[in-house]
Amino acid sequence: MRFTISIFLIILISYVQTSFAQKYSPILITFSPIIEEEQLVLHKRYVLKDNDTLSIENLRFYISGIQLFNNNNLVWKEKNSFHLIDQEDTNSKIISLTVNKNILYNKVSFNLGIDSLTNVSGAYGGDLDPTKGMYWTWQSGYINLKMEGISSLCGTNNHEFQLHLGGYQAPYNSLQYITLSIDNPKKINILLDMSEVMKSIHLKKEHHIMSPSDSAVKHSNTIANCFKIASP
Amino acid sequence: MKKLYVIGLLFLLMSFTARKQLFLTPKNWPDPWYNFSKNKLSRDKIALGRALFYDPILSKNNTISCASCHSQFSAFTHVDHALSHGIRDSIGIRNAPALMNLAWQKEFMRDGAINHLDMQALAPISNAAEMGSSIDSVVYKLQNTKRYPSLYFKAFRDSSITGEKTLKAIAQFMLTLVSANSKYDKVLRKEAKFTEQELNGYTLFQKNCSSCHQEPLFTNGKFANIGLPIDSMLKDYGRMGITKNPEDSLKFKVPTLRNIEFSYPYMHDGRFKKLSEVLNHYTKSIIISKSVAPELINPLILTSREKVDLTAFLLTLTDKEFLFNREFSYPKELLLNIK
Ligand code: HEC
Ligand code: HEC
Repeated sequence: MRFTISIFLIILISYVQTSFAQKYSPILITFSPIIEEEQLVLHKRYVLKDNDTLSIENLRFYISGIQLFNNNNLVWKEKNSFHLIDQEDTNSKIISLTVNKNILYNKVSFNLGIDSLTNVSGAYGGDLDPTKGMYWTWQSGYINLKMEGISSLCGTNNHEFQLHLGGYQAPYNSLQYITLSIDNPKKINILLDMSEVMKSIHLKKEHHIMSPSDSAVKHSNTIANCFKIASP
Repeated sequence: MKKLYVIGLLFLLMSFTARKQLFLTPKNWPDPWYNFSKNKLSRDKIALGRALFYDPILSKNNTISCASCHSQFSAFTHVDHALSHGIRDSIGIRNAPALMNLAWQKEFMRDGAINHLDMQALAPISNAAEMGSSIDSVVYKLQNTKRYPSLYFKAFRDSSITGEKTLKAIAQFMLTLVSANSKYDKVLRKEAKFTEQELNGYTLFQKNCSSCHQEPLFTNGKFANIGLPIDSMLKDYGRMGITKNPEDSLKFKVPTLRNIEFSYPYMHDGRFKKLSEVLNHYTKSIIISKSVAPELINPLILTSREKVDLTAFLLTLTDKEFLFNREFSYPKELLLNIK
C-alpha cells in the first residue's frame, strides 16, 4: 500500500517538475560593478585620473521590483522582489528569475533601493532582515546603498569615506527607478560603472552621508545613471 | 488511526483555547493602527517577546533590559529619571515615555523617528548610551543560549533566530500592553461615577486640553510645540530633527495622559516632577515662537481651584489593573529557572 503510494507520488512530482521545466526557464541577471573597465575588486587600490587613489572597502545595495517589458508593455514582474547585492558575496550578484518561456521582452526595469510602502510596514526577513546591516536604527528606514572606502581626495582621518544613501519620505525620497534595454534576453549582465560614479561625486566635499538628505537623493540619482547593460 | 483522531482533537481544542482573545479593542475605541495580519498574535510569540523585553541579554554587557528604562509600576516609563539611564550609567538625551496602547500609535519616539512598532526595539539595542549592542550580535547571542532556540521554536515552529522574528515577538508583547480600565473608563461604561470635583475637572479638560490629548487615547498622535523653553544643554528641537522642516521646530509628540499619576517625571526631558508644575506651565510660562500651538498662544486660564479639579480628573486615568497585571510583569517562569 505505502509502496504504491510513494511510487505514485514520485511519478506525480516528476511529471509536475518536467512540465514546469518545459514552461519556464531561468533568466539570470548579473550585477557587476566595474572600475577602469575591469571588474571591481574590493580593498584593491586603484589609481584614477589625476593620480587620485581609491579603494572600495564595502559596496552593497538593494535591487527591488524587477520587471520585464516588451516595447513598453509590462509582461512580467517578480513577486516579493527584494535583493541585497553585496560585492563581497558572489552569489548575491546573480539573480535568477523564473519566467514563462513564451514571454518576449526587450527591457528590464528595477528599483535601486526599497520602496516607501515596504519602509513603513514593519519587520521583514530574508534580504530585508535588519541583521543585514542595511537598516537605520535611530530613525526608521532602509539604507538603499552603502559605499565605503578610502580615497586620497578625502581630507578625513585615514582618508575614509562612507556614503549611506537612503530615505523614503519626500522631499528626501532617494529610491531610483532604472530601465535598461536588453539585447540578449537569456542573460542580462548589468554593469555599475564606479569610474563614472566617482567622476560625479565630489569626495573632497562630501565624504560622510549617513541620513536622508538632499545629497543622498542627488548621489542616488547619480549612481542610478551609472547602471548599464554590458555589450555582448 | 485512533491516535490520529486524538491528536487532531487535541489540536482543535488547543486552537480554541488559543483563540481566547489575545487582543481586544475596547468598546468605543478607534481601530488600532497596527496591522495584525502581518504579525499574527499568538500566546507563544507574546511570551517570547515578554522574555526578550525583560532580558538584559539584549544589551552589550548583559546589564540593561528594555524594562530597565520601562518598568511596569510606572506605566513602563523610567521612574525617577528625567533623562533615561543606560549601559555603564550613560545618560540619554530624552525621558523614556510610558508604554501603553501602542497598537493605536502610528509614530514612535518623541520626535516620531520610528515609523513602526516592529522597528522600535532596534533603536535602544543599537544606541551606544542605551544598550550599546546591535541586532546581529543580539541574534548571535540568542542563538547560543539554551533557552531561546526552544522558545523561538515554540513561537515560530522553527528554532532559527532572525532579526525579523526577534523584532516581531517584542512588538507582540508591547501590543498587549493595553490600558483601558481606569476609573474614567468605568465611568464611561457606567460602572462608576465621577465625584463632583472630578466631573468639573473633566469639563475643564475637554475645554482646554482635549484638542491634543484626545479621548479615548488621550493623544491625537500629532506633534505640537507647547512653548517649553529650550534646554540650552540638550538643544533638542524635536520633530524638526527628523523632517528638517523649520515649522516643526520644538514640536514633540503629544503623549497619552493615561496613568499620568505614575509616569512622572513629565515632558520629553523630564523637566517637571509634579502635575502642578505641568499645569503652571500651561497657565504661566508658555514661550511664544513661530511654531507654538495656536490654542496655546493665549495662556490657558485656570484658577487654583480649577487646577485642583483638573488634577483630580487626571488621577481618574490611573489603571491599577494595568500597572499590576501579572501578564506584563517579569516572566520568572521563563527567565529564572532554566539556564
Ligand atoms: C536606556 C533606557 C532605555 C532602554 C534600555 C530602552 N528604552 Fe525605550 N525608550 C527610551 C527613551 C529615552 C525613549 C524616548 C526616546 C526618544 O523619544 O527619542 C524610548 C522610547 C521607546 C518607545 C516609543 C514610545 C512612544 O510612545 O513613542 C518604545 C515603544 C520603546 N522605547 C520600547 C523599548 C524596547 C522594546 C526596549 C528594549 C529593546 C527599550 N525601549 C529599551 C529609553 C529606553
Ligand atoms: C497644543 C496641544 C496641547 C494642549 C492644548 C495640551 N497639551 Fe499637554 N502636552 C502636549 C505635548 C506636545 C506634550 C509633550 C511635550 C514634551 O514632551 O515636551 C504634552 C505634555 C503634557 C503632560 C506631560 C505628559 C508626560 O507623560 O510627560 C501633561 C501632564 C499634559 N500635557 C497635560 C495637559 C493638560 C492638563 C492640558 C490642558 C490644560 C494640556 N496638556 C493641553 C500637547 C498639548
